[in-house]
Amino acid sequence: MDDPRNRQYTNDDITVFWIPSKCIHATTCFRDLIEVFNPGRRPWVNMDGAPSRKIIEVVNKCPTQALIWKNNEDLTTEEKKAQRQVGSGEETPRSLSGQEEPTSIRIMRDGPIVVEGQFTIIGSGDQQLRPTTMTSFCRCGASRNMPYCDGTHRKIDFTDQNTAYGE
Amino acid sequence: MEHIVRLISLIKTPLMENSKTLFKVFAGGPLRVSGQFQIKGSDGKIIEKEEPVFLCRCGGSSNKPFCDGSHKRNGFSE
Repeated sequence: MDDPRNRQYTNDDITVFWIPSKCIHATTCFRDLIEVFNPGRRPWVNMDGAPSRKIIEVVNKCPTQALIWKNNEDLTTEEKKAQRQVGSGEETPRSLSGQEEPTSIRIMRDGPIVVEGQFTIIGSGDQQLRPTTMTSFCRCGASRNMPYCDGTHRKIDFTDQNTAYGE
Repeated sequence: MEHIVRLISLIKTPLMENSKTLFKVFAGGPLRVSGQFQIKGSDGKIIEKEEPVFLCRCGGSSNKPFCDGSHKRNGFSE
C-alpha cells in the first residue's frame, strides 16, 4: 500500500512523513511554519527550518495525518532505508477541488499571499517562473526568496493593521 | 538528467496553456493578477474587485492587500 508519492524528511532527531493522498488542504502546516513547510519550494519540507519541537507541534496540528512524525530511533528498517529527500516529482499540499474552480488567492493575516489553482507566474525579468499549482508570495517586502514567502514576515513583525481589508 | 527532463517540459508548455490566471511580478513593485480568480482577505471574506488587481509586495501600502504606490517612496527592491 506504499504510495510512490509519499515522502519522508529527516533531521538528526525526527522524521516527518508526507502522505499527499490524505491532505485536505487545511494549510495549517504552512500557515504556522512556512520556514519548514513551503509549497513554493522543492523539497517543500525543510527540516532545518525550525527546531524539532516546533516541527512536532505543527505536524501534530495536521487534521488529516497527511503529516505525521516519528523519532528517528523508532523508525522501522524499511523506513530507515527509504530515508531520502527527493525534490523532483514531489507533490505539495493542494486541495481536492476540481480544475474548473477559479484560482484561489488568499491574503493571510500578517503573512503572505497564498495562491492555489491553475496559474502562470511571470517573474520580474519577464521570464516564466516554475509551474506549480500552489505557492505563496511575499507581502512584507523582506523575503530573501522573492517573489515567494520565506517566513521573514514573522521576524520583522509585518502587520496588516490600518489597511483596507486587514481587519 | 532530471534537469533536462524538467527543461523540456517547460519548453513544451506554451505560456498560459491551461492557465486561467496570470501573475506578473513587477521589479521593485506590485504583483499584478489578471484572468479568473477569487481573492479572500485576511478576514476570510471575498473581496470583490475587477481584474487586473495589483497586490502590494513591499509591505508599505496603506491600502493592503492592494498596492498604493508606496514602493516608490520606501525604496523597495528585491
